[in-house]
Amino acid sequence: MTFFDLARKNAWRKPLRTLLLMVCIAVAFLIYGLAASFVAGAQGAAGASDELLGVMSATGRTQPLPMALMPRIAADPEVAAVGYMTRMRGFIEVEKNVVAVSAVDPGLLMSVNGKELGLTADLVDAIGQARENVLVGRALADAQGWTAGQRIAVTTFDIAKQDGSRDWRFEIAGIFEGENASTDTYFMIGRYDYVNAVRARGKDTVDAFIVRPQASAVPDLAAHIDQLFANSAAPTRTQSEKQFLEAFLRQYADIGMIVNLVTGAAFVTVLMIVVNTMVFAVRERLFEIGVLKTLGFSQTRIVALILGETLFVFAIGGGCGLALAKLATVFAGPNLGLVFSPLVFAKALAILLVLGFATGALPALNAIRTPIINAFRSR
Amino acid sequence: MTQHIAQEPYIALKGISKAYNIGGQAVPIFSGLDLCIPHGDFVAVMGPSGSGKSTLLNMLAGIDRPDAGSLRIGASHLDQMGEAARSSWRAHHMGIVFQFYNLLPILTAAENVELPLLLKPLSRRERRIRVERVLDLVGLGGRERQYPGVMSGGQQQRVGIARAIVCDPGLLLCDEPTGDLDRKSADEILEMLCFLNRQLGKTIVMVTHDPQAALHAKRTLHLDKGDFVEERRAA
Repeated sequence: MTFFDLARKNAWRKPLRTLLLMVCIAVAFLIYGLAASFVAGAQGAAGASDELLGVMSATGRTQPLPMALMPRIAADPEVAAVGYMTRMRGFIEVEKNVVAVSAVDPGLLMSVNGKELGLTADLVDAIGQARENVLVGRALADAQGWTAGQRIAVTTFDIAKQDGSRDWRFEIAGIFEGENASTDTYFMIGRYDYVNAVRARGKDTVDAFIVRPQASAVPDLAAHIDQLFANSAAPTRTQSEKQFLEAFLRQYADIGMIVNLVTGAAFVTVLMIVVNTMVFAVRERLFEIGVLKTLGFSQTRIVALILGETLFVFAIGGGCGLALAKLATVFAGPNLGLVFSPLVFAKALAILLVLGFATGALPALNAIRTPIINAFRSR
Repeated sequence: MTQHIAQEPYIALKGISKAYNIGGQAVPIFSGLDLCIPHGDFVAVMGPSGSGKSTLLNMLAGIDRPDAGSLRIGASHLDQMGEAARSSWRAHHMGIVFQFYNLLPILTAAENVELPLLLKPLSRRERRIRVERVLDLVGLGGRERQYPGVMSGGQQQRVGIARAIVCDPGLLLCDEPTGDLDRKSADEILEMLCFLNRQLGKTIVMVTHDPQAALHAKRTLHLDKGDFVEERRAA
C-alpha cells in the first residue's frame, strides 16, 4: 500500500457517491472543453490570420468597393500581394442549409491566401478549367457529403442573375483542406469573372480586398491603406482577418464572455457540490482521522491525504469530461468549428488542479483543526 | 499524592496538573500528579470512571497536554513539544492499542498494520516483510488480505496490536484492550501483551477496569480522584 492507495481507497469508500461526484465534474469539464474549443475555433477566427489584411468599405461591410481601388493598393511598396472577393450567401435545397461562396480570382487568391487555405497549383488549375467550377472547403464538403466532379445548385439570398433567377449552378472541381484543423473551410471558392459577368447589379465591385503585407511592412499598414482612400467616394476600413472575424462574431454576442459565464457557473456549482460532499465525507470519518493522528500522521500528511482524495476524484471526473470533449471535437469539430488545442487542455488542467485543491482545502482545514480528543468523541 | 519512584525511570511525570473546562467551570483532573515507570515495566492503571485514567493515557500518548508539570518519556519532554513534534514522536516511539480496535474498515489487515510504516522511509518490500513478521507474531499469518469486518473481536485486536508494534516502539499504551472481548480472547490478548513485555522488552501501560486483566501486569496502580491511592506488585 502507498499513500496514494490510501487516498484512493478513501475516495472509493462510498462508490455511488464518488461516482456521482465524478459524473458531475465530468459534465462540468465537458462543458468547459466544448465551450473553450468553440472559442479556440471561434468559427475560424482562431485559425484566421493576424497577418492578412482585409480592406472593406468604411460605410459598412455589406457596401461594395469599386474594383478600381485595387491598383492603388497593389502599388503600395509595403504590399506583397492583393486579391479580391465578393461573398455570395445562399442555401442548398432548404433555406436553413446555408452556404457561402467567395467569388475570387483564383490566381490572386493563391498568391495572397493560398497557403492558409491549403490551395495547390492543381486546384487552381482545376477551377480555371471552366467558369462554373468551384473549390469546396473540406468542412463544407464533409457536411454536405460532396465529392469532386459533383454538380450543385446554390440559391443566393441577395445576388440575382441578369435573368432574375437566384439559382447558381456550379461544378465541384476540387476540395481544399485548409492549412490546419482551425482553418475555416466551411465555404466554397468560385470564380469572380463568372459571378461578375452574370449578376444583375454591382458589376465591377467587390466586397473586400485581401492584402498580404511585405514581411518588412510597417505595423500601421492598415491605417496607411485607409488613408489612401480617406477623402474618396469609397472610404475603406482595413483590419486583419482575425480582427474582422472577431468583430463579426461580436455583432451577435461576446462569445468569449458567454463561454466564461457558462463555464464559470458550471465550475462554481461543481465547487459547491464537491466541497459540501467532501466536508460531509471527512466529517463522517473524523474518528478515523483521529486514529491516523494518534498513529503519528502529521497535519501535513492529513492535509495531503484529503487533497489527494479530492484531486483523485477531479482527475478521474475531469479527465473523462475532457476526453469526451476531445472526442466531440474529433468527430464534430470541423462542422462546429471546435478546436481542442493544447492551450485549451493546459487551461483545463490548471482549472482541474485549482478546483481539486480548493475543494479539498476546507475539509482538510476542518480535519487538522479538530483535536484528536474531539475526533475520538465524534464516533 | 503518592510518589512512585523506581530506578532509571523511562516515563517520568512530575507535578502534573490538568483541568477541563466544563460548562465554563474548570474541573480539575490532576493536581500535582507524580509517576515514574522504569523501562520494561508493565503497569496496569485501574480506577473508577472519571478518576483520570484516560486523561493519563492521552497525556502519555501525547494527544493531550498537561496544564502544568513535566512529562518526560525516554529523552523526550512531551510537555514542551509542539503538535508536529508530538506527531513525529508518536510515529517513532509509541504504539497504541484501543478498546474498540479502531481499524480502518476500508483496509485489509495487512494494510491496517502497514499504516504506521507509511511514515517511515522504507521500501514497499521492507514494509511488506515487517507486516508479515508482526502478523505472524500475533498469530494472524495467512489472514493478511482479510478485512476487519469479517474478523472476530479477538482477531481484530490482534491486528490492532500488530499495528501498534510494527514500528518497534519502546512504549505500548493499551486503552482497555480486553474491554470488548470474551474471557478467552481477552486472556489470549493479555498473554500476548505479557510476551511483548517479557520477550521483546516493551514498556506497557494498560488502562483497564478488569481486575483479571490487571493481574497480568507487573504492578497495578489505582487511580482515584486524580491521584494514585494504591499500588500492588505482582507476586
